[in-house]
Amino acid sequence: MNLIGLDREPRSGALRLDGLTKRFAARGESVVAVDGVSLDIAPGEFITLLGPSGCGKTTTLRIVAGFERATAGGVYLDGVRIDAVPPQQRSMAMVFQSYALFPHMTVYENIAYGLRLRDHTKAEIAEAVKIALTSMNLVGKEHRHPHELAGGEQQRVALARAMVVQPKVLLFDEPLSNLDAKLRGAMRAEIRRAQHMLGITGLYVTHDQEEAMSMSDRIVVMHRGRIAQIGTPAEIYLRPASVFVADFIGRANFLEVPAEPDRGHAIVTAFGKKMAVPSHPDVTAHDTALLMIRPEVLSVAHASREGEGVILNRTFHGASVDYEIETAGGTVTAAVPAPHPAVLLTEGTPVTVTFAPDRAYVLPRR
Amino acid sequence: MTAPPRRRGDLGVRAALLAVVALVAVGCVYPLINVLAEALSPSALPRYAEFVTSPVDLAILRNTIVLGLLVGTCGTAIGLLFAFVQTRLAVPGKRVLHLIALLPMISPPFAVATATVALYGRRGLVTYGIFGTEYDIYGLDGLVMVLSLSFFPVSYLGLLGMMRALDPAMEEAAMNLGAGRRRIFRTLILPLLAPGVVAPFLLLFIEAIADLANPLVVGGDYTVLASRAYLAVTGEYDTTSAAIYSLILLIPSIGLYLVQRRWLARKTRITITGKPSGSVHLIRGWGRWPVFTLAVLIALVIVSLYGTVLAGAFIRAFNVDFSLTLNHMRVALLGAEGREAVADTTLLAAIATPIAGLAGLTVAWLVVRHLGRAAGWLDFAATLGVAVPGTVLGIGYVLAYRDDIEVAGVTVLPGLVGGGALAGGSLAIILAYVVRSLPAGLRTATGALAQIHPHVEEASTDLGARPLQTFRRVTLPLIRPALLTGLSYSFARCMTSVSTIVFLVTPDTKIITSQILSAAGQGHYGVAFAYCTLLSLVVLLSLGLIRLVVGGSILTRQEGRL
Amino acid sequence: MVSRAKRGALILTVMLLAGACDAKAGDTAGVTIACGGQEQWCSVMTSHFTKATGIPADFVRLSSGEALARIKAGRNKPEFDVWHGGPADAYVAAAAQKLLAPYRSPNAAEIKPEWKDPAGAWTGVYVGVLAFCNNTEVLAGKRMTPIRSWRELTDPRLRSNVAIAHPTTSGTGYTALWSHVELNGGAKDAALGYMRRLHPNVLQYNKTGSSAAQQAATGEVAVGIVFAHDCVAVHEEGYTNLHVSYPEEGTGYEVGGVAVVAGARNSTGARKYVDWALTAEAQELGPTARVYSLPTNPRARIGNKLRDMSKVKRVDYDIAEAGAEKIALSRRFDIEIARAPKQ
Repeated sequence: MNLIGLDREPRSGALRLDGLTKRFAARGESVVAVDGVSLDIAPGEFITLLGPSGCGKTTTLRIVAGFERATAGGVYLDGVRIDAVPPQQRSMAMVFQSYALFPHMTVYENIAYGLRLRDHTKAEIAEAVKIALTSMNLVGKEHRHPHELAGGEQQRVALARAMVVQPKVLLFDEPLSNLDAKLRGAMRAEIRRAQHMLGITGLYVTHDQEEAMSMSDRIVVMHRGRIAQIGTPAEIYLRPASVFVADFIGRANFLEVPAEPDRGHAIVTAFGKKMAVPSHPDVTAHDTALLMIRPEVLSVAHASREGEGVILNRTFHGASVDYEIETAGGTVTAAVPAPHPAVLLTEGTPVTVTFAPDRAYVLPRR
Repeated sequence: MTAPPRRRGDLGVRAALLAVVALVAVGCVYPLINVLAEALSPSALPRYAEFVTSPVDLAILRNTIVLGLLVGTCGTAIGLLFAFVQTRLAVPGKRVLHLIALLPMISPPFAVATATVALYGRRGLVTYGIFGTEYDIYGLDGLVMVLSLSFFPVSYLGLLGMMRALDPAMEEAAMNLGAGRRRIFRTLILPLLAPGVVAPFLLLFIEAIADLANPLVVGGDYTVLASRAYLAVTGEYDTTSAAIYSLILLIPSIGLYLVQRRWLARKTRITITGKPSGSVHLIRGWGRWPVFTLAVLIALVIVSLYGTVLAGAFIRAFNVDFSLTLNHMRVALLGAEGREAVADTTLLAAIATPIAGLAGLTVAWLVVRHLGRAAGWLDFAATLGVAVPGTVLGIGYVLAYRDDIEVAGVTVLPGLVGGGALAGGSLAIILAYVVRSLPAGLRTATGALAQIHPHVEEASTDLGARPLQTFRRVTLPLIRPALLTGLSYSFARCMTSVSTIVFLVTPDTKIITSQILSAAGQGHYGVAFAYCTLLSLVVLLSLGLIRLVVGGSILTRQEGRL
Repeated sequence: MVSRAKRGALILTVMLLAGACDAKAGDTAGVTIACGGQEQWCSVMTSHFTKATGIPADFVRLSSGEALARIKAGRNKPEFDVWHGGPADAYVAAAAQKLLAPYRSPNAAEIKPEWKDPAGAWTGVYVGVLAFCNNTEVLAGKRMTPIRSWRELTDPRLRSNVAIAHPTTSGTGYTALWSHVELNGGAKDAALGYMRRLHPNVLQYNKTGSSAAQQAATGEVAVGIVFAHDCVAVHEEGYTNLHVSYPEEGTGYEVGGVAVVAGARNSTGARKYVDWALTAEAQELGPTARVYSLPTNPRARIGNKLRDMSKVKRVDYDIAEAGAEKIALSRRFDIEIARAPKQ
């Protein structure tokens, strides 16, 4: 399937980052923004760079786009090293956080801008822009100026403008951060759909883990300029590579426990029960490890007498309820599907806490 | 942009409005009415018929407009060139270039034009001495050169601010859609700057056609209305003709002003919301060198001109006898008149500058934020100060304020002008300074205010601040750099304005520029140059002082954020 | 029309200024002069007047037109008592508008009748002679010597090398034009005919008279047509390449005036000033301020530097008629000569 009908060849690029490093000199000090980032992205894959602000994700993206030069390492597109290629010849298109729409041009002119730089006839351009407008649900707005559009529409124009030139790689720099929550959800689907349809390789920067989870084929979690983990959303969520990743992605309870490794598992004792829990390979014998349990994995039940814990606090979310429970191992949070109001547990209630061992994970302490 | 809510009813706004309206009325409108009454008196009416049928007069009108358009274009282009080099090229010495581009803010009358002739005239040190050509600089070409170089800093500063405010992500977007440098400049930067180019163009146009000192020196046979009006007074003793020429001179100014307002109103642009991102990509390719070279050449010309002024103050006779002398300086600095002139001018300019700066800011604030339809009129009335030839304004002052103004037999306002007037006539001089330098501050402040989103001020209002409090606590600090530029500009203008002042100097108040005028008029060019050097020195020192008082720096990147 | 706030600001400013200016608050016993001469000349004149009479005097330097415009605009409340220096035609114009108070000074009796107003509105204090301001270097480059006659000035070798002011805007320019009317026995066509022949040699018609001297000094032109004292002044500045010469056919001149301003606050002092300005000793002061024009008082001694000038052949210059014809003749010049292309 082809969005713009100008080029029948499917275009998507294999992107490889090899040991990218970027040092800035700031006030005489050298700051390492990106530190040896290596990454292989398959054609058509959608990858998210995720991390807290200042982790180097945007810098990495800008190096790929060609706006920054790496201090060391290289960027390869389809096996060709492109470090020295100026941005305008890189066959990539970026969607900016500020959209960077050209305020003096209409929607049509904005979208056509990139096409006019290539050798296309007027008719071809009109055709391509028309398809882009249709697919982005912008028909009827082509003669408006950007400031006459709503936020979501501006975003769609920015997207259309980038995609219509059929780049080999689409780059996204937190493009949804200026939209409200509802629109953001819709736009995620929109971006994903378009990217899939065109089969363009996507590199997406965000600090919003939910966004990363819902959109990506693979997520690259970055921390202090380095890659903390690369994996599918499920891997990242269920089998985080470190405490940082576990903590950054979603919510997690950590219980400090002695652990005995046993064929990919570790034998731990939690809430008074001994069990075998899947374990990180770095967990060694006679070690104190961290048992990670996501709040939704915990089950809570009213204890007739003495239980494993007592409810400290309750937060109602509508679809679910959060209980903060004081246990012998520490305070944990459990998120359970909201029951009938009559069965809501109240503060001070003694409870039993249980969980399925294979849904938890044991991590080394460091 | 959605119209900001009007708060005309507020007491503070009303008081501010009253104050500036009074200032503009007293300083500009009323004196002009006095002169124009003469230009519109029944006996003067046949002159208009004469004007439109006289080929000589029509040629003068055409010359004036052509000059204004050319200077507007060239001055804006030079400003754009320097702003572009400053913000987009990876080249050495940008700071020096910046300083040189600001130098013409201090342009004493006659100095630049005279230096131009000395260097680039038929026997010019450069044109004849180095290149051996007898280039005839007198006429339109020389005028455009001198005026463009004298007035371009205003467009430079404006465009510098705008180019720094452009979201670099926009250029990056174009870049990774495949656009090259030149294309980005043509399809993005230029159109985006267009509204910003219009204001300096207008100011350049108005200043160029109202300037009289330069046409006198390098105009040659090329006659324009402003100098014609001046000469009607000085050569023909005919103030009525002068008033008529001035009235006609106002027509292109007003016309262009109205066109600009309409055009801008239709083309309002809002930067799309969202955090500006990306970083500026300096041009590093070979393509930067021709552009840079052009800027450096122009900078060299500027330096050569000011260097000549400085050198001329210490050289016995430029181009003939290059031996050093301190005589000129001695006359300017130690002569009774000279010493008094330096002291008086500095004092009066120092008093006028804060008033002008604040007034410009207030008018801008009222125009941009608080007035609807009336805004245009206030804006225009405040711009009149430069739109009319100083000579005419000067005569207006004498007509309007020489006598005591009495209402019902009670003296409301004692005579302000001339010997025996209040404070030795210095009040009128201050008033003239304020009115003549107000427009520059007004323009920079308008530009700065337009860039502050009304939300910022609305937030303050929302928290309970009255408009005046908002202005003082929120707006003022935000546009401080613009205020600084406005003040510096005002001071420089005060110190260098001449044509109005010659009608207001009294035995008690001597003004440097009028000393320059008489020295130059009598061929004492060394002394004139010495005065110019002193004047520039005072201005430079004062700019430093303003910088200390207001904070921030005129010499750093800050003032670009207009 | 002045808001209270504004008035408050004014009063405040006045108070601020009072500190700076109270030492020089206006005095009424002294004489205030609108001075049309050079700064230094004005300064010498006023100080010597005070020395001679004990009356304090102060001046503002103004070009003739500025002085006239200012005296006219302030006629209801004159700020000047005396107007001294500057060409008589401005005084004629002022007298016509009744801006001058006629005063026949006893010292005026000795002055030639054509150098003073018959009604006593103004009296001549010096005579400036129209001359050629030659740049000897430029001329030498053309194998020429300083110009001696109007005829020689039309030499084709001087193409675009003569500077002269436009008669519409400059008294100097008009004096030159009228000189040719007088040289041709009153024939204006003949005068314009000469200007037409001169036209190819004229670089440009300057706006002001004295700039021609400056242009000659810097070599922009070979010859400037200016009043002799303008050329001498630039020469004194260090431009030793200049040489003053006079046309042998005869040349025009201007008379500098002095007058009492109508309604002067201190008319007694003003008259005393006029009396003094007409004395031989006052008129001998010029050269001490480097102003080299001829005195009108026949008893004034003529220094070495002025000797040549005093022997120059002068045309019979009719100031009154020249003034009357000025607008019409200047306009003819503008249309017939100045706008003609230079072949």
